[in-house]
Amino acid sequence: MAGRAEKIEAKLKGAFAPRVLEVVDESEAHRGHAGFQEGGESHFRVTVESEAFQGLSRIAKHRAVHEALGKELMGEIHALALTVRE
Amino acid sequence: MRAEDQIKDTITSNDVVLFMKGTKEMPQCGFSSRVAGVLNYMGVAYKDVNVLADDGIRQGIKDFSDWPTIPQLYVKGEFVGGCDIVTEMTLSGELDTMFAENGVSFDKDAADKIREANA
Repeated sequence: MAGRAEKIEAKLKGAFAPRVLEVVDESEAHRGHAGFQEGGESHFRVTVESEAFQGLSRIAKHRAVHEALGKELMGEIHALALTVRE
Repeated sequence: MRAEDQIKDTITSNDVVLFMKGTKEMPQCGFSSRVAGVLNYMGVAYKDVNVLADDGIRQGIKDFSDWPTIPQLYVKGEFVGGCDIVTEMTLSGELDTMFAENGVSFDKDAADKIREANA
């Protein structure tokens, strides 16, 4: 079973064919905070840059990413710091 | 009152509302803390709604905004965004513009200081 970082990468690659895609698991930095899960994979920082976001508002860009990740994956991870660029 | 009606009532009777984990004086999450910190520092008068105090609101605001995370900022009844968007808008100056356009008073010097510190 692929880890969550790999799942995030695969879903965003498939949805947006991004020219820049960075998925960083920052869970360890949140050890002891709310939502921390042993083994990590709870807190992610994602940067995604794709032509697919052209012309979308900031909110619409983020919604497109949330939708591509899907409710299940969004529900599994505790925190997602997201930078979306055209 | 149903959660949806409560939310509508709150965002129409307050110019600026932050749905957050914890309170503006004592945030309970780093992301909520960041947005509350920006608003506090900029001297914006806003209503804080602690979603941890009400499970109905906690889920209700996610459904209402079609947005999966907390915090969520509303200005004049319009959803502005969460922590990442508010941070980007603070640094780009768009937040100043939006407050100015909506007649929300804020400390411009403080906003400039945030930008200088993060330049």
